[in-house]
Amino acid sequence: MGNKEMVIAGYSETPVISKSGRSAYDFAGEALAQLLERTGIEKDAIDGMSVTTPLSETSNAFFPVYMAEALGLTTTWLNYGGIGGCSVTGGVSRAMSAIRDGHCEIAVVMSADAPSTRWGANYGAYRAEFQEAVGVQSPPSIFGLLMSRYEHQYGLKSEALAKIAVTQRNHAMMNENALAKFRKPLTEEDYLQSRLIADPLRMLDSVMFCDGANAFLVMTRERADALGIKKYVYPTAYAELTNVNGTDPMADITETGFSKIAPKIWKQSGLSPSDISMVQPYDDFTIAVLMMFEDFGFCKRGEGSDFILDTDLSHTGTLPLNTGGGQISAGQPGLAGGGLNLVEAVRQLFGEGDARQVNNPKNALVTGIGVIPFARNWGTSTAMILEV
Amino acid sequence: MNQVNESRPVPKKGTFVDTAPFWEGIERGELVLQYCKDTDRFQHYPRPVSIYTGSRNLGWKAVSGNGVVYSRTVLRIPGPGITARLPLVVATIDLDEGARLLGNVLDASPEEVQIGCRVELAWDELDGGQRYPAFRLVRD
Repeated sequence: MGNKEMVIAGYSETPVISKSGRSAYDFAGEALAQLLERTGIEKDAIDGMSVTTPLSETSNAFFPVYMAEALGLTTTWLNYGGIGGCSVTGGVSRAMSAIRDGHCEIAVVMSADAPSTRWGANYGAYRAEFQEAVGVQSPPSIFGLLMSRYEHQYGLKSEALAKIAVTQRNHAMMNENALAKFRKPLTEEDYLQSRLIADPLRMLDSVMFCDGANAFLVMTRERADALGIKKYVYPTAYAELTNVNGTDPMADITETGFSKIAPKIWKQSGLSPSDISMVQPYDDFTIAVLMMFEDFGFCKRGEGSDFILDTDLSHTGTLPLNTGGGQISAGQPGLAGGGLNLVEAVRQLFGEGDARQVNNPKNALVTGIGVIPFARNWGTSTAMILEV
Repeated sequence: MNQVNESRPVPKKGTFVDTAPFWEGIERGELVLQYCKDTDRFQHYPRPVSIYTGSRNLGWKAVSGNGVVYSRTVLRIPGPGITARLPLVVATIDLDEGARLLGNVLDASPEEVQIGCRVELAWDELDGGQRYPAFRLVRD
């Protein structure tokens, strides 16, 4: 049994919008106001905050402090999460640690970004000399290389990736917060006909940068009960890894950080893959979802395609997948995107999934992926198990 | 194919770590990479310390440029400096000396460049005639 001392006692999420013309701060304000309204918590009860580094405001080295001021929050613990799409799950975990250490009592994990309105990021480092000179400028190039190698080693069925895209699109159509232009049906044929971007990666394997925000409240179960909060979930396992195989320049790039952290979350929670009610994995590209199934032990390495084709991944199926559409079909609100998968997990466990509600879920596996490094597997991997 | 008819700016050199030996090697027609002197292992891209030991006992030496395609993709959508070169083959190349590079494979169709193909060093050109390392298929 995992530790049930800490809870996520509330969530909020703005709609995902493309080119909103609004700032990360403005989205954060919307997410905070909604969070207070949903939970009935007074703003001034919040004394801790983890802020996700956004693409749209990274030129400001003091962003989290500006955010606290913008939101009118006075904090005794302030964390800045710089692990990309892992910053949300990582932020929840760090908030739990901070509360255990007595640095704060009620923490908000705030993630807001608006990269489709304003791009503020410049990765710098080695990229200009050794990567961009080769023409590698964006994540699809590196994921194309990853998919290509995976296909070479294990075989990759397009129909399986199409099934991920179609399943998640069906879910997005039931999600009021999903990007409006994605709320239309998608067929396997649409996927197979979609444009190649970086062979074998297609347009419909990919996310699209949008704007939006989400937020979570973290506190002890005791405090949640004292505040009269009726709905909460327990994060009973969390593990994280950055720079997988970082000292092996010739590493197998199909080996993910997930494969290293999976044993930890199963041990912490006492659960196994067959116990999992639903998966809400980080989905920047469809191949990442396939590799998640393999590396967390839902199937063996290299058997992801067949597992996907043989499993009902719909919200009524045996293993519901990204029931809000995931980032691929709801839109990726920049680096707040990691919160999209986590919001959906909490929403489902609260029984608030409406038309897409999973039947009586007991738990969820949520993952994070952060940073696309130089010709390697992704930079940071996180995994969290939530239980009711 | 591979015609340069749009700007391919020469990157600012040495802004991350001192990369002068890499660029000086290019002038001599050599591919020069960073290595850890304590373990005699290469590391690419170059780093501020040895990724193997954490020390700054680093050096540079020329490699053959001979290797094998570890993975490959074909970029098909426009971007700065690549629009005129589409479809653009990008590969990860495992050099015989034990380093992995990102590189373009010149003078080959996307279909020809497959994982496992042997490659050798070739020279691409950035703005102002600046040479930049690339690869070509070894054709028997």
